[in-house]
Amino acid sequence: MNQLTIALAKGRLQDVALEYLSRVGIVVSDAALASRKLLVEDDGGRYSFLFVKPADVPVYVEYGVADAGICGRDVLMESQADVHEPLDLGFGACRLVVAGKVETAERGYNLLTTARVATKYPRIAADYFQQRGVPVELIALSGSIELAPVLGLSDHIVDLVETGRTLKDNGLVVIDTIAESTARLIVNRASYHLKRATVAALVALLRHALHL
Amino acid sequence: MSSSLSKIPPGVQYIFDADARLRRWIEREAMTIFDGWSYAEIILPIFDYADLFALGMGKEQAEMTYRFTGRDGKLLALRPDMTSLVARTIATRFRQSSRPIRLSYSGEVFRWDEPRGGRQYEFHQIGLEHIGSDRLEADTEALVIVIELLQKLQLEGFTITLSHVDFFTGIVENLKLDAANRQHLRDMVDRKQIALINEFLKPFTDAADRAAFCKLSTLAGKRDILTAARQLVTNEKSVAALDDLERVYAIAEELELDAHIDIDLGDVGGLDYYTGLTFKIYAPGLGAALGRGGRYDRLLENFGAAEPAVGFSLCLDWLAQLLAPKLKEAIEAQIEAAVTLKTDGDVAAAFQEATRLRRDGRKVRMAGGE
Repeated sequence: MNQLTIALAKGRLQDVALEYLSRVGIVVSDAALASRKLLVEDDGGRYSFLFVKPADVPVYVEYGVADAGICGRDVLMESQADVHEPLDLGFGACRLVVAGKVETAERGYNLLTTARVATKYPRIAADYFQQRGVPVELIALSGSIELAPVLGLSDHIVDLVETGRTLKDNGLVVIDTIAESTARLIVNRASYHLKRATVAALVALLRHALHL
Repeated sequence: MSSSLSKIPPGVQYIFDADARLRRWIEREAMTIFDGWSYAEIILPIFDYADLFALGMGKEQAEMTYRFTGRDGKLLALRPDMTSLVARTIATRFRQSSRPIRLSYSGEVFRWDEPRGGRQYEFHQIGLEHIGSDRLEADTEALVIVIELLQKLQLEGFTITLSHVDFFTGIVENLKLDAANRQHLRDMVDRKQIALINEFLKPFTDAADRAAFCKLSTLAGKRDILTAARQLVTNEKSVAALDDLERVYAIAEELELDAHIDIDLGDVGGLDYYTGLTFKIYAPGLGAALGRGGRYDRLLENFGAAEPAVGFSLCLDWLAQLLAPKLKEAIEAQIEAAVTLKTDGDVAAAFQEATRLRRDGRKVRMAGGE
């Protein structure tokens, strides 16, 4: 009952998150990780981990299937999940940006023509352009977003940028930064109360590991 | 045609057999308990003028209703909540009645809100309103009734978090924030973004106060947290809020209900609506609060009759979802076996026998050509 289920974002953040957790004694063995199980326990048996796509972490946590989760601020903003967000873990820093070809950047936004925007973040992208009074046509893609402006599928993209290398390699430039993103610890609202001591202990451990 | 027949609009549901029985059972238990505390049931209209709900819920919330035009050309809405309808009834029909007035309700509400955490566009609320008393006994009564109900339903491991809106309001008043900043701070407290809160408060207050504020935002637990809180706040309003919490908690202790109650000083969720004590109900197996309630002394004012009120509502759909694994079998086991009567031969005789059995209260099933 007092075991905590934690949803971790697969990919970019997973290894760093596990590294931080291991520093505070929450160790998931390599054997467990190597198994193809989707739900694995830590060595102490106090936590069970769920490895899911980054954008799904807030969903699992909001529904309470996972008590807590670690994901980027980007997916949290996009999902608008109603969860607690007690810790900015600081790692996995990147920026959520509007980018496009150099010509597009020089032209700026045109309030009279519809901007075609390719993105994995339709909600954030729509908000951004609508707030600026720019009519927007969203093209929802699930990967290789940079390809869209290169091939003329869209004028702009809204995407996560870590080093800017992929943009540069494809001849794209950052037009505006929408938000900075880092990894966040999120907690389900019911778990926050029903498993208060366990959740508080996890927050304290991680805060300690981060020297906050 | 066939595709539109099989397609069900998102957010609605068809419920039958054991699930329907379970829901009716929960509803019956709830209404029986409400009646036991002298709350009279009020059956409310499914739709009413859209403006009414804007008065009761605020414009933004009322935007999420299903709206359509009535024959008189006025805009109508399917009810998104029950309290607005109760409030208007109190302000009109019950204007002359003696106070307090105790009313209970049970019925579906409709919100065009993204279904979150498993709640549909259409869901069933059961609840009560206690109007005309500003005394702490009214708050206590609501709390005691809700616990009686959850115990009666044998809902396991539930926790009720008890909060007070004046606690946060009292602290924030001293910070001299404008409306936008106040809202921003509230959102951060609501999401428990402690590091951001600390950063945000830097221009407004010193390090000691900031540390105190951050601690209070996450302070929750049993009675001892009130003692901790008293060492951190001195403003009159917050202290009065702590006094109220302490008084109600003390009564809960006397009644041996305190095991179910936690005090949560960091809850700022319903600040626009509630005015005093508030509570939320959580249970293992559900990611969100399955019910909430509290004091809302300002609402009736919108309907032209300022008076104090306390109420709560529970989501029947979520209760049924939580109780189903445990209770469905028990409820099915109670279903009486029917006496089967063949109507292949003498039909009149079969029905005669059936009516005789029915008079004895037996369950029958007419079987013709089976």
